[in-house]
Amino acid sequence: MNTQPDKSRDTTRDKTRDTTHDAHLRVHCTAAADGRITFVLQQPATAALQSPQLLLRLRPKKGQPEKLLHVLDLELADDSRLSAVLEPQPTLAEGRWDVYLLPAPGAQRQRMRPGLRDQRALVDGHTRDHPSPVAVRIPYTTKDGYLAVRTWLRTAHAEVERLDVTDRSMTVRARLHGATLAETAAAVRLRRRGGDGVVRTLGPQAESDGRAFSFTVDYEELAADHGPTAGAGARVWDISVQPGPAAGTPPIRIGRLLDDVADRKEIFVYPTAAVGDVTVRPYFTVDNDLSVEVAAATE
Amino acid sequence: MKISFLLHNAYGIGGTITTTFNLAQALAERHEVEIVSVLRHRERPNFTLDPRVSLRPLVDLRHEKEHPLHLRPARVFPVAEYRYQQYSELTDQRIGECLAAIDADVVIGTRPGLNVHLALQAPEHVVRVGQEHLTLDNHPPRLRTALRRAYRRLDVLTTVTEADAAAYRRKMRLPGVRVAALPNSVPDPVLPAADGTAKVVVAAGRLVPVKRYDLLVEAFALVTAERPDWQLRIYGKGEEYARLRQLVHRLGLSENVFLMGAAAPMEAEWVKGSIGAAASNFEPFGMTIVEAMRCGLPVVSTDCPYGPGEIIEDGVDGRLVPVGDRDALGAALLDLVRDDERRRRMGRTAMENARRFAPVPVVEQAERLIGEAMSARRAGQLVTPQSGRIQRALVSQGFAARDAAYAVASGALRTVRRGRR
Repeated sequence: MNTQPDKSRDTTRDKTRDTTHDAHLRVHCTAAADGRITFVLQQPATAALQSPQLLLRLRPKKGQPEKLLHVLDLELADDSRLSAVLEPQPTLAEGRWDVYLLPAPGAQRQRMRPGLRDQRALVDGHTRDHPSPVAVRIPYTTKDGYLAVRTWLRTAHAEVERLDVTDRSMTVRARLHGATLAETAAAVRLRRRGGDGVVRTLGPQAESDGRAFSFTVDYEELAADHGPTAGAGARVWDISVQPGPAAGTPPIRIGRLLDDVADRKEIFVYPTAAVGDVTVRPYFTVDNDLSVEVAAATE
Repeated sequence: MKISFLLHNAYGIGGTITTTFNLAQALAERHEVEIVSVLRHRERPNFTLDPRVSLRPLVDLRHEKEHPLHLRPARVFPVAEYRYQQYSELTDQRIGECLAAIDADVVIGTRPGLNVHLALQAPEHVVRVGQEHLTLDNHPPRLRTALRRAYRRLDVLTTVTEADAAAYRRKMRLPGVRVAALPNSVPDPVLPAADGTAKVVVAAGRLVPVKRYDLLVEAFALVTAERPDWQLRIYGKGEEYARLRQLVHRLGLSENVFLMGAAAPMEAEWVKGSIGAAASNFEPFGMTIVEAMRCGLPVVSTDCPYGPGEIIEDGVDGRLVPVGDRDALGAALLDLVRDDERRRRMGRTAMENARRFAPVPVVEQAERLIGEAMSARRAGQLVTPQSGRIQRALVSQGFAARDAAYAVASGALRTVRRGRR
């Protein structure tokens, strides 16, 4: 398999005298509601491409080797453009998958820039039911301008449908996908990040369908738990729901995955409340999961 | 024929850059086209440029920022131009050399200061086309005075709206100069049009006060009060970001109004919506309105000077509401939110009607203007018919005198202020 390291930047610079034009290959992609992604190369097929393929690589942690690769054949479509389809199955592991072109067998891979990403089918994804395992794929453009696919793969998922914030509390309405709430014994867990792992639990208001539920987090209670570490930096509480008795069911992380927004943190932003000498604000993490930050007030 | 564009900075982001790229690419179908970018500050342009269009930077700020000539003020580029601070003796010199040696048949300037260079420095055989993407009435009097002198030496002056062309004809005496509206063009969409079902309103532009996104957010509160499942997505970045974020929070719209950041190209974002929105107090053209319409969205816009009223036909392919009127804007949005059938019908009409801004018809207009100017220059004739000449001269002299008086007065005021410091 072709897993040569990415030298595409250097090679394009060598090959093209004209650095004013963008020499990178671009690929359009269309995401369907069921997870299927169709890739179409913007440039027409050329003779330089022999049995070309698209390579998706799960981005490894810094300093770690590459482990997961997924290869798709590029085939000539009607209009002389090359296209490849990423079918809903098999599911992809959770993470960020970078997209490369393998121009020919054994040739060096080239990272691809996005053309148009048609993701309109994803916008109302939260209105559809997603059975277990919940697999989500959102193509996006990386900070340095390349095409990648953000994926989530979870046994079950709790999607935030509405988050209402006051200056004393926040109320979350969420819906379970791939699991149902037991009539009793369901609990919302707020787990404090860090070594001590303090957990607070709340009783959710479950609706009769066993899927939708809501709960209110009182900021003063969280602020009280800030306790002796006040002023020593922020505390983060991760929120999940335990759908049944604690022994039998693993907690399901509450977040927002079911639309077209791959990186939510800077877009879905909520007001910060001042509670005593701390500030409290809910936010979505880099993984689009819901957390609450309690920090010392700066004033 | 060979056509050169003279552009401030092809490597940035903005309406003039987009529209220049669009026109250059469309002309490249039949002509040899290059873009001369006075400044360059990065390796590649933000927007992909068709490889048939060559791109030639004159001053590379990555190495030449400290060039001794770049530290001295420009003398050809007019002092009253908005971008004067970014120009220098070095840009004067490079632009002058470039024009002296140019082998193009036609050179197209894309902002007032560059049009002045073109008017003063292009060789005799070259057809000089000045493009104005801003508007005469909003130029400061001192700039108008400088342009009034220089623009007489152009062959063609294009504005982006009929209203602005009319202002130039009335207020500037430019004998022999053909003044015509040439709208910005928007490329044919690649993606299928929006189908009008998404509960999403989309707006796009720089987050600056004149765009009045504050008004749009307040108007959208009226929509969500009745339809909490609708969202507004605002694409773009700028100085108003923090204020808008606060406003969204204050109005309790964190779940309905999203500041999405910049997106280029916008096409894939427009098609996620089913209504476009614009709330500007002032819009020389209104490129995003055309973009949205070409993607099948009816646009609700303020009827501000100058563009929106020449793009949208109220009640047919979009809605026009009074400037600064939050309730009217909210009501017009809500009308389209409530009425699925009307929204879809207007979206289809918008797509049809916006075809006049496609590259093909716009480039045909541009070619016609260039062709007429070329034959006139060859024949040594004036391009414009000369009837009503004296009448117009008298009117425009009145405006010239007023601008000159303003320019002198504001100059004097500055001198006085400086003296006081």
